[in-house]
Amino acid sequence: MAIDTAPAAARRIGISRRTSKWDVKVSPYLYISPFFLSFAVFGIFPIAFNVVVAMHSWHRRLGQGDFVGLDNFRWVLEQPAFWTSLQNTFSIFLLSIGPQLFFALAIAAFLDQNLRTKTFWRMSVLVPFVVMPVATALIFGQIFGQFGLVTPVIQELGLFTDVNSPFYQDRVLSHVAIATMVNFRWTGYNALIFLAAMQAVPRELYEAATIDGGGRLRQFLSITVPNIRATMIFVVLTMTIGGLQIFDEARMYDGTGTGGSNNQWLTTVLYLFNLGFGDWPDRLGHAAAVAWLFALVIIAFAVINFALTRRIASSKATRSKVPASTTRTLIAEARTAAEASSRAAREAGVPTLLGTASRTGHPDALTHAQGDTER
Amino acid sequence: MTQNEIQTQTHHPTTQRRASTMRITRTTGFIALATTTALVATACTGGSSAGGSTDGSGDGDRPDVLTVAAWMDFPQELLDGFEEEHGITVQIESFPDGASAQTVLRNGLSSGGAGLSDVHLVELDWWTEMMAVPEDWVTLPPVDGRWVDWKVEQGSVDDEIKGYGTDIGPLAIAYDSQLLEEAGLPSAPEDFAQFIGGDDATWETFVAAGREFTAASDAGWVDSMTTPMQAAINLLPAAFEDPETGNALPLAENDAIRDTFLEFATAAQDGVSAGIAIGHADWGAGFQAQQWATVITPAWMTGIIEENAAGIDGWMIAPDAFPEGGGNWGGSFFSVPSAGQNTEWATTLADYLTSPEAAVAMFLENGQFPSQLDAINDPVVGESANEFFGGQDVGGVYGQLAADAGDAAAGGFRGVNFAGIQTLVTDGIRRVEDGSQTPDQAWESVVAEFDGLGLTTD
Repeated sequence: MAIDTAPAAARRIGISRRTSKWDVKVSPYLYISPFFLSFAVFGIFPIAFNVVVAMHSWHRRLGQGDFVGLDNFRWVLEQPAFWTSLQNTFSIFLLSIGPQLFFALAIAAFLDQNLRTKTFWRMSVLVPFVVMPVATALIFGQIFGQFGLVTPVIQELGLFTDVNSPFYQDRVLSHVAIATMVNFRWTGYNALIFLAAMQAVPRELYEAATIDGGGRLRQFLSITVPNIRATMIFVVLTMTIGGLQIFDEARMYDGTGTGGSNNQWLTTVLYLFNLGFGDWPDRLGHAAAVAWLFALVIIAFAVINFALTRRIASSKATRSKVPASTTRTLIAEARTAAEASSRAAREAGVPTLLGTASRTGHPDALTHAQGDTER
Repeated sequence: MTQNEIQTQTHHPTTQRRASTMRITRTTGFIALATTTALVATACTGGSSAGGSTDGSGDGDRPDVLTVAAWMDFPQELLDGFEEEHGITVQIESFPDGASAQTVLRNGLSSGGAGLSDVHLVELDWWTEMMAVPEDWVTLPPVDGRWVDWKVEQGSVDDEIKGYGTDIGPLAIAYDSQLLEEAGLPSAPEDFAQFIGGDDATWETFVAAGREFTAASDAGWVDSMTTPMQAAINLLPAAFEDPETGNALPLAENDAIRDTFLEFATAAQDGVSAGIAIGHADWGAGFQAQQWATVITPAWMTGIIEENAAGIDGWMIAPDAFPEGGGNWGGSFFSVPSAGQNTEWATTLADYLTSPEAAVAMFLENGQFPSQLDAINDPVVGESANEFFGGQDVGGVYGQLAADAGDAAAGGFRGVNFAGIQTLVTDGIRRVEDGSQTPDQAWESVVAEFDGLGLTTD
């Protein structure tokens, strides 16, 4: 019995070692696999399948047609509407990123103060984000319409009286109107992210600045902003991606949803949607080509963003560090000073120096004196 | 277990066992779980137990509920009538507008029937698209003598009936008699009809009347010139495509379209139009602010005008006069997707919902003008005073217009690219209306866009 159990036990240890090795190696991947499995099904497969669609003529109902190679891409690149849509997308993006950053920072800075009913104010900021984008678009459509809040006032002033509503006619103004919706929706959300970052800034820094006589604005610019730089980069990145994909607001801006009679506010995603799912039943292939071309644009943007982010991160490091040469000179100076003072101390006589130094209150003399005593 | 039983159970333990809070939370927690499970179970069985069917008569094929996807109101008596007759509840899957119903149908068809209802309302404007694969739809048995002939033709693919006609859209011109009176122009229905050209009305006489009106009034003549443009396109036998080959006709050489386009665009440039088309956010507000005097109004639009112009007195419909002899815009069909579980019963329901009696009920509910001969001749339709349109006999007016239009109402050929090209053309008119282009520039850019599409042309 005893002879039987001993090797069995040993073997069991061997097995469990092996399994535990496998456990260590494989389990982590198993634990994260649900995400990657669903990502493969809902992410990678559609992306790969999109290549197939883009290379064929594709009818919404009849499905796959003839193989056309890169013809769909050529067709899209020849459409003026595609280029217009790219310009519109970037224009709306640029019009929304500046105001959003500015107001989000300002709101976050105010919320970071000692307010009464803090939670109420913080939650209120998030309300526009909770409103459905479609509802936002409908509300703002009313504001910028001919009988809305803004247009009659402008026309009262004698501007744009020859059109029904300049916000539906003028390209730039329509972008302003749509950017307003985007800002309305996202500013509060970004403000809360900024607020979270601001609350992680050590309070001692503000106390120190207050003692040094730094005003609120100075504190904001010199302490708050540098300390939340990483969060700002994150927010700008998400804003870039979200801004380039803008669709809901442009789709719902007017009743027809085609991006304006002259494609004034046709964004690229809206163009893609109208090609694939609008008037044309047989242009899914073209829509897929638009998706790929637009993906290239977004990737290019992401690379630029990445480079900028790295530069900002590294420049931050060098700026906050004191150059090595300065440190060396300072150390050298300190050393000469120390040698000089210790020489002086030896000449003057050690026992008396301590008392003299503390009486005159010269800190340098004091430290050197102490050093000497220890020595 | 029904929902009611579960509810009484939840009340019971919470009142009786108040002694131990721990226990109560546990019990209610369990019951909440049970409720959820029961609800999920009911949802999974397609709402069959929720329907509250009482006949356990062993009629295995008969469903308890049939669903109908549509975007208008149904008179409840009509739906109740079907339940009384067949013991099947009719449930309306209501959509806010045709476009959203179209999206759901389109997605359902391309995914093998997912999310489709038993019966679908299909609008003529997107009939061609949905019939791309005729096998998607159940072939319906003919019902002799129910509809005007051209409606049956529209609803057929390769001589097989794929949709039972509901309503048709005889074209008329609705007008705001108040504004006409203020401008010192003929405002009584017969006089107004003469004013826009009477029996010999053309788009030209219609626009000429508009110029006269806008000279005397601050309001526009029409809401948007895109609407008469679409109506004019509807009247052409082959607007954009060759019915034989299905290929697009070169737009630059399409004189009929170009002439109409320039006619309307020039009028738009001269301010004859208010520049707000149906579907625009300002359309309703424009009615309230009395921004235009006339609207091209297919019969199904009377209800929409009534809604948007509520509170504005004086809207009337011009009798016996429509440019180019009149025609038809839209109208719908009830069709049965073959992917459905209960296609036979669904066919019975489609038949029931398109009976002349049902059509009369729908006319009274929504103002949809029937495509059924018996319903058109029904005195309820033909001699009913419409309160909103100044007590006018709206059904009679549309009946006459439909009769005048005759077979021309069947409309022209619509191929794969019809909707896309039509949007290009109406966008051109919109550009003139919002002042960004002159009529000639607009036409040139429409042609350039068309050529840029690189469609196969004849």
